[in-house]
Amino acid sequence: MLVATDLVKRYGEIQALDGFTLSVAAGEIVGLLGHNGAGKTTFVEIVSHLIRQDGGTVTIDGKPPSAVRGQVGVAPQHIALYPSATVREHLELYGRLSGLRRAALNSAIEDLAVMLRLTDLMDRRAGKLSGGQQRRTQAATALVHRPGLLLLDEPTAGADLETRQAMLDVVKQRAGEGAAVVYTTHYLPELTELQATIAVARDGRVIARGTYEELAKDLPGEVRVTLEDEEEIRISTSDPAATLIDLLHRTDRRISSVDVRNASLDDLYRSLAVHDAP
Amino acid sequence: MLLDVSRPGPGVLGSLHRIGALARHNLILRLRDPGQMISYVAMPMVLMLVLKPLYVRALDGGATQVATGLMVMFSVFAISLAGNAILSERTWRTWDRLRVSQAPAAELLIGKTLPLFVVMVAQQSILLVYGCLAIGLPVPSMPHLVLLAILVWAFALLAIGAVLATLVRSHGELSVISDVGALTLSSLGGALVPLSLMPEWAQLAAHASPGYWALIMMQSAVAGDVAGTLRPAAVVLVIGVLAGVFAARRLARGWGRGGLL
Repeated sequence: MLVATDLVKRYGEIQALDGFTLSVAAGEIVGLLGHNGAGKTTFVEIVSHLIRQDGGTVTIDGKPPSAVRGQVGVAPQHIALYPSATVREHLELYGRLSGLRRAALNSAIEDLAVMLRLTDLMDRRAGKLSGGQQRRTQAATALVHRPGLLLLDEPTAGADLETRQAMLDVVKQRAGEGAAVVYTTHYLPELTELQATIAVARDGRVIARGTYEELAKDLPGEVRVTLEDEEEIRISTSDPAATLIDLLHRTDRRISSVDVRNASLDDLYRSLAVHDAP
Repeated sequence: MLLDVSRPGPGVLGSLHRIGALARHNLILRLRDPGQMISYVAMPMVLMLVLKPLYVRALDGGATQVATGLMVMFSVFAISLAGNAILSERTWRTWDRLRVSQAPAAELLIGKTLPLFVVMVAQQSILLVYGCLAIGLPVPSMPHLVLLAILVWAFALLAIGAVLATLVRSHGELSVISDVGALTLSSLGGALVPLSLMPEWAQLAAHASPGYWALIMMQSAVAGDVAGTLRPAAVVLVIGVLAGVFAARRLARGWGRGGLL
């Protein structure tokens, strides 16, 4: 569905993308991780055809972004709503711009309103919505025309639990219907819930790509044992279970608690994206 | 069922559909914020009434001067309507959101500015009708000529407002430039004092003001002078086209991460 190869983008002195390569298949959710300035938003803007790359290629279903204008759903990082327009008016505008008419438009709006818990807010102006409600409205404008490619740039930034859950539910549903999804976030547990594959960006390129299991297999977990006298033993290990068994064999003191932790997504992120970051 | 990403937008009908959606949306936004427009209609009405005795006593054709002069001056003030409407798309970050849609830049611009154009035409029409009814402006013998002048002038103002929106850094800056610019250009163009009473240097400088050409065009149109209307109309149209092309090129690129704002 989406194939980006060796993308390069420079803003004056700043090298925003430096050989950024990423592919996303239909039905796949890719969690795009990286610290601020890693190139995530620049990548989204190039795929959205908002800016042009200085080098490299992007195709969506084999076509350049300019040829599939409007058939990509984009929820930008910043809220982009008309304060004096209602939720319904936003959805009608973006639905109509994508070619939806009357019955199909109304049906799409009602479906989304239910999924994103906007039903009671449809006639409220965007400027009067809470931050989470604005996030859901913005996501709805990206989803109303049921695009085959979804670019969601930190869609849950600063959002409440209700918003986050609604967003995850609808993203999973759309991916289940065959949409390719690029989902940038700093909330790593969301990617576990979405069962997303992971791409980690750093310094304008993707430095790791795969499933969580593939990427985390070489990362150390941790065994934490607390002894009867409150002494705590922590061992970083690539095989926490074997290490714990070995420890139990070797000690003759009473143990008051045991904690075995495999490498988490946080560990993975820290080891790849944050470590040595500028 | 997901949208087929290979599906193209359907031709002219699709284009009209999208422009209609944008125009409808922008009309809603405009109607929800009518204060500025109302003031640009009410203020010149009051000023026309107050200044009419002075102009009628001081000048031959004083009623025409006060009605068309203030109409031109306050129509220039309306540049800020267009500027603010477009600049708000930047501050709300909605312009880039629209650029991601299926509508190309030309459709976005037409859909955005169509309601503003209608509002500007309505403002000028109301003020001219008011001039005829309350100020003593002669009833035009060729209304279609007046309509042509209004359409051309509204187009030029809209384009100039769009240019300003792409150049300024904030609503405050736009407000200052449009207000000071409106007063300067329309006064220099003879909207307050007839050109013949102005110093020689000002009479020369007036030719650089769109307000000068607009005033001649309006007064000629009201008088039913076809040739006298078409020549300044051509100048105003050229100004509008140049400004429109410049604004369209800037807006098609979006504001992105440029230095403005």
